Amino acid sequence: MDAGGTQKGAPMKNDPLIHRRRLKAGRYFANNWQLYVMMLVPLVYFLLFKYVPMFGNILAFRRFRPLTGPFGVRWEGLRYFNQFLSQPDFWRAFRNTLTLAAMNLVINFPIPIMFAILLNELRSLKFKKLVQTVSYMPRFVSTVVVISILTEMLSPSSGMLNRLIQQLTGQPGVFYMNEAAYFRPLYILTDMWQYTGWSAIIYLAAITGINGDLFEAGRIDGASRVQLIWYVTLPTILPTIMVMFILRVGHLLSLGFEKVLLMYTPSNSVVSDIIDTYVYRMSIAATAPQYSYATAIGLFSGVIGLILVSSSNLLSRKLTGESIY
Amino acid sequence: MNKKPRIKDNNLLLDALIWVIMIFVLVACVVPFLYIIAMSFSSSRAILNNRVSLWPVEFSTEAYRQVFAYPNFFNAYGNTLFYTFFGTLIALCMMLVFAYPLSKTRLKGQGIVMKLVVFSMFFGGGLVPNYLLISSLRMTGTVFAILLPFAINQFNLIILINFIRSIPEELEEAARIDGMNYFGILVRIIVPLSTAALATVGLYTAVFFWNDWFYSLIYLRSTQYPVMLLLRNIVNGTTMVGEAGGVGEKAFIAIAIKSAVIITSTLPIILLYPFLQKYFVKGMLIGAVKG
Repeated sequence: MDAGGTQKGAPMKNDPLIHRRRLKAGRYFANNWQLYVMMLVPLVYFLLFKYVPMFGNILAFRRFRPLTGPFGVRWEGLRYFNQFLSQPDFWRAFRNTLTLAAMNLVINFPIPIMFAILLNELRSLKFKKLVQTVSYMPRFVSTVVVISILTEMLSPSSGMLNRLIQQLTGQPGVFYMNEAAYFRPLYILTDMWQYTGWSAIIYLAAITGINGDLFEAGRIDGASRVQLIWYVTLPTILPTIMVMFILRVGHLLSLGFEKVLLMYTPSNSVVSDIIDTYVYRMSIAATAPQYSYATAIGLFSGVIGLILVSSSNLLSRKLTGESIY
Repeated sequence: MNKKPRIKDNNLLLDALIWVIMIFVLVACVVPFLYIIAMSFSSSRAILNNRVSLWPVEFSTEAYRQVFAYPNFFNAYGNTLFYTFFGTLIALCMMLVFAYPLSKTRLKGQGIVMKLVVFSMFFGGGLVPNYLLISSLRMTGTVFAILLPFAINQFNLIILINFIRSIPEELEEAARIDGMNYFGILVRIIVPLSTAALATVGLYTAVFFWNDWFYSLIYLRSTQYPVMLLLRNIVNGTTMVGEAGGVGEKAFIAIAIKSAVIITSTLPIILLYPFLQKYFVKGMLIGAVKG
């Protein structure tokens, strides 16, 4: 309305409404200023270490010059993107990332669910507790230690496996850690070893939360235990499975970079060079670092990751009503 | 619950199958450690002759003696302890002071900051922008490159926020009426009531610092290296310890030495883990409320 518009545009000095609003704001501030002061340091800190690097992605479009800061000196447009998109090494890393991530998802996503269901079927609580305690532990062991143990166990001369094979078949030892054919299976196997128990916690909690009446009703109807798992347990924990799946798909491209780096050797690089190791090799580890080029690749995979999260979230909300934000 | 006697569905085959699988899981989790322990306590001759499997042969502490005689080992171990202690301390302080205001949904601006936190979990600067930020802050080659950038972890922050939200509001209101300010409430009410959540988050953070090797590799000088990076360098042959560089029978002490370093660097986690397990699991579940 016209009258209201003019009032808003030119408020009178002693307008009671404004006065009251100011009073209210003043009281809000007097009550809460300490909370804002408290937040100040960690907020600045958070923005510095999380958001400044995010804006640092701008380097993907700019030329880098040493000692002039992280944001580059001159606009270069899409030059670095064109550069890597025409680079066969990049596409090899891209394919390797997708292949390894997809294989890892297909194998290591369902296993914790099965593990949780089976664990829940254990009738001895003591044994269940023991299995839980032991199987969660590998999650806390450093990847360096995991890969070191693996290297020792698979060593061609003294490793356990090779000695066993030698004794049984008399064939010479295989240098598994150096063979391209074994890289993906070993990556997936160590992931399974480290995270199966830990990832099962969420599903186990979901199963424990199921209303006991559902099982009781099923039992009275004469369902077997396998049928109870199939018709009661699985459908009830489906929302949890869905949410975990979104999270996993969203982080599909962020493979265990540190583990891959530890397992990387020139002779298995055909399959072990993933986007992250390629970025690392082109920038920090390179004798002549190409920072802008590497940032462009990092940004490319980051944007794909973001698209993956939001689309899988959207899809899940449409299909099951479950979403993470 | 008063359970009615089970209707006969005792599928024995299923039970047996589950037991077999679970025993397999137990064995698979434990065997790698047994193997390494056996290797670390065996004589190099026994290793040479391939006689060691899951139990030490010709028990020997030679490998440990050589590791402990190696000065860089203690230096690296001390570095790890330093990063773990101070890194965790800084992280806990930062996250606590951040989580408390963020736990108040009535606070103006809280929603925006929460959105920023959640968004940064899914998108961020990659390796290079982070590296260039640290180096332009002149932090490379200093311990701050390890202690500071990782202090606020979004997942841990959300665990803390969710936990603080579950503390009854009435306690705070009573303290406010008594004239206590928010800093006093944080120190005297929130901190004592959040010890479980703080323990959980503290443990996750401590494990992160204990296990780190990559950030130390790209940011630190070799005298500042933590024990995990030393281990990685020993395993990939960059660093030699004791007589590990020798030939023939002596070369086999290298295997025992690697094993001894693996065991000494993982020991704190293996020893403390069973006692702290409940805190680890708690965090996973509080954090999952959001996820």
